[in-house]
Amino acid sequence: MQPSRREDLRLIQGTGHYTADWNQPGQLYGYVLRSPEAHADIVSLNVEPARAFPGVVKVMTFADVEAAGFKSLVGGVAPNVKGVGDSAMKKPFYPVLADKKVQYVGQAVAYVIAETAAIAQDASEAIEIEYSQLPPTVTVEDSLADGAPQLHADIPGNVGFVYERGDAAAVDEQFKRAKYTSKIHLESQRLIVNPMEPRACLAVYHADEDRYTLYSSSQGIVNMRNQVSTVTGIPQAKLEIIADDVGGSFGIRSTPYPEYMVSLLAAKQLGKPIKWVGTRTDSFLSDYHGRALELNGEIAIDENGRFLAFRWDDRVDLGGYAGGNGAFIGTNNLTITCGGVYDVAALYARTRLIYTNTTPISAYRGAGRPDIAFAIERLVDQACHDHGLDPVETRRKNFVKAAQMPYKTPLGTTYDCGDFAAVMDDALAQADWAGFAGRKAASEKAGKLRGIGFATFLEASGGGNTPSDQTAARFDAKGDVTIYCAAGASGQGHETTFISLFAKELGITEDGIGYRASDSNMAVVGNGTGGSRTLLGQGSSFKLLAQKVIEKATPHAAEALGVTADAVSYAGGSFSAGGKSVGLRELAKKLASAAAAHPFDCGAEGTFGVTFPNGCHVAEVEFDPVTGVAEIASYAAVDDLGNVMQPTLVLGQVHGGVVQGAGQVFGEHAVYDRESGQFLTASFMDYTMPRAATVPLAMKWRGHAVPTKTNLLGAKGVGESGCSGSLPALMNAVMNALRPMGIDNMQMPITAAKVWQALQASEGGAAVRKAA
Amino acid sequence: MSKIEMTVNGKTVAGEAEDRTLLVNFLRDNLGLTGTHVGCDTSQCGCCTIHLNGDAIKSCTMLAIQAEGADIVTIEGMAKGEKLHPVQQAFTECHGLQCGFCTPGMIMTSAAILKQTPNPTEHDIVKGLHGNLCRCTGYVNIVKSVKRAAEIINSGA
Ligand code: FES
Ligand code: FES
Repeated sequence: MQPSRREDLRLIQGTGHYTADWNQPGQLYGYVLRSPEAHADIVSLNVEPARAFPGVVKVMTFADVEAAGFKSLVGGVAPNVKGVGDSAMKKPFYPVLADKKVQYVGQAVAYVIAETAAIAQDASEAIEIEYSQLPPTVTVEDSLADGAPQLHADIPGNVGFVYERGDAAAVDEQFKRAKYTSKIHLESQRLIVNPMEPRACLAVYHADEDRYTLYSSSQGIVNMRNQVSTVTGIPQAKLEIIADDVGGSFGIRSTPYPEYMVSLLAAKQLGKPIKWVGTRTDSFLSDYHGRALELNGEIAIDENGRFLAFRWDDRVDLGGYAGGNGAFIGTNNLTITCGGVYDVAALYARTRLIYTNTTPISAYRGAGRPDIAFAIERLVDQACHDHGLDPVETRRKNFVKAAQMPYKTPLGTTYDCGDFAAVMDDALAQADWAGFAGRKAASEKAGKLRGIGFATFLEASGGGNTPSDQTAARFDAKGDVTIYCAAGASGQGHETTFISLFAKELGITEDGIGYRASDSNMAVVGNGTGGSRTLLGQGSSFKLLAQKVIEKATPHAAEALGVTADAVSYAGGSFSAGGKSVGLRELAKKLASAAAAHPFDCGAEGTFGVTFPNGCHVAEVEFDPVTGVAEIASYAAVDDLGNVMQPTLVLGQVHGGVVQGAGQVFGEHAVYDRESGQFLTASFMDYTMPRAATVPLAMKWRGHAVPTKTNLLGAKGVGESGCSGSLPALMNAVMNALRPMGIDNMQMPITAAKVWQALQASEGGAAVRKAA
Repeated sequence: MSKIEMTVNGKTVAGEAEDRTLLVNFLRDNLGLTGTHVGCDTSQCGCCTIHLNGDAIKSCTMLAIQAEGADIVTIEGMAKGEKLHPVQQAFTECHGLQCGFCTPGMIMTSAAILKQTPNPTEHDIVKGLHGNLCRCTGYVNIVKSVKRAAEIINSGA
């Protein structure tokens, strides 16, 4: 038997360590009381009845976090990012526990600590809170309306930020000379990220050393520790964060949450460890939500079918506060590639970031990149339809050509490499694009509506907000080595990938190599997992680390071989000179001592650039016109991910990403009631998650690598490409099936009810129902 | 508080729990069997699936006290020493897990599917997995794993 990954053996036997699996002697349990109101003043708050509850140890409110000097939760654009007219983002204070007012259902109001989790929850019901309801606004449209409810006194009109990028005048010029124009309005609806492991934490205070340990899932230690420290004032050096196994992240675990901060405070004040385990309801209400973007695009095309310009006017629903990475997504990520794979003369994008009485948004798989890829490809498809242009040849004509690389977009973004036409041709061949008419006829015969769609897209990966990615190697007394970095895995298989990469680079076997991520005791910094960047960032750094180990070992090898260092060469795990050789391992073992640091110990670091994974995904969708039920009839994708290190794991990422996209297209939708502001889809009974029966199990995929030079591995990253490809490919297929029925735009999710209703209302629908 | 006794992974175990304690919490908190996970509070996700008297059940949907005297197998009891259960083996061979949080439940459900349907069709598998959610894998490799497990079991390996 060949296990796919090192991680698997513990995870398939139930011996992994997720956050809720940790316990400490004497621990107490926390329970968060959340706001049941969307928008309300807290008139009075009496926690005494809960405090008096048998088994309750403490009840915390805003007064406690205020007394502790807690700052606002961190969010918003970086201070150097300016909006229209050099404006700064308007960011309200986001309290760890609500102060005087609540801004969304689920906002943390009080924290009850008791001897058991059940007692804490029971006691929370005894807290007396009087809310005075205010009218809520749960959509961007309502927040912008005249006389809209005002969330924050100092943010009139609820507009947090107006951001623009590109040259509006140049775009206007291009639209003036255009022969054809098209426009589209699209919603990338609010989603619940829903990693399967609910959030949890265990906070420990070590009084003797005035130090803290926080067990908590994360995507990387640097951001987490930095933000916990910013909010709580605990110096970073005194805060250890431990995350072993993490049950999925998809963007929402890159920044800390209120429960972690109050638990740390309580752990110190009570001198006891505090454990909090969130329920799925907590996840729905209080994990940062994803997407919640509205994209309005226009395209200008000349008489030869050449694209001249794109213009975007997007609206971003921030939620009640600026939290997590919501503002970054709504500015940088939505605009950085807003011309997609196309060579155009001018680009302009404006985005408005709006507050609503909803849970704040942050990153969800792709974090704005799938959304803009989706919008571009829907718009291009719409334009081809509007003006009778061939979707394949029109795209080909307008691609940035391989020969134009590196290509600087009108926004100043540089695409380093790629061969979009070759990728498209490969994908269309794999999908048998040419044979669609036959499949459509067969579907028609069976009374079904079949559509085909594809998308050629790219996204920016890499980047990150920590300037360099560091790695380190530590050899132990047996001469075994552990390698370290600061990115946290949540299913990507870093342990497998990085050990294999490091061993290959050194030409040694993998035994005796260990891997640790986000170890606070190592002063290793680097970016968290996100932006499809860990392989290209940390992976490149591990490659450097292997070279560093060889450098460190060379003088010792020379000594062992009785020659000078420059006479030694290294290959296949051994140093050799003049017919004699010594193995790296053997030498490491010989020099190991329990008393001193190993002479081979070393670190490496590097800064690796942004690159552009790209691909072409092709989908076919079949509708039953009688019920409106959709089925993904086929799915075939080709991705240029640069060099691939672990094909099995990469394919797993593609599957997961494509299906998360399919989830958004066909079912997922976080819905608030417009009148009351209540959250209507706060459980798996109300929120449609993709299930085994609803996904394209026969998905075809192949890689088409155009390696990048922006990092040492030539890799471009895979985490987000599945979503970026599947949203537009599936939606173009949906529209291709429905347009002949007279349905010209439909917003996601494409539920059976919505399709059925639209078909009822359309003439085409009536005809095809009759035929079926 | 009641004293509850049951057989778990072949051993007789006992513990004290409140009447309202869910079986999953009894397994995790009293017995320290943290391989059984809690992924929801509405009986939807299947992360908590175990075998009770031979059937796959959701241990979050039963009180501990209802399992008095039952014969329970959890994920920790699937391998026989070093030898993995064929379903465990198939999941790792086919890369049927990423974060692994859904995996114990997926394995327990899959083993039950195969017990009832030794040669399942794809339809049998996806129907059988309807009560188990996975956010990472897109299910493609999970379904592959169940097929592979059937092969291993049927070949008598
Ligand atoms: S925890 Fe039992 S079904 Fe979700
Ligand atoms: S592997 Fe992560 S939820 Fe299934």
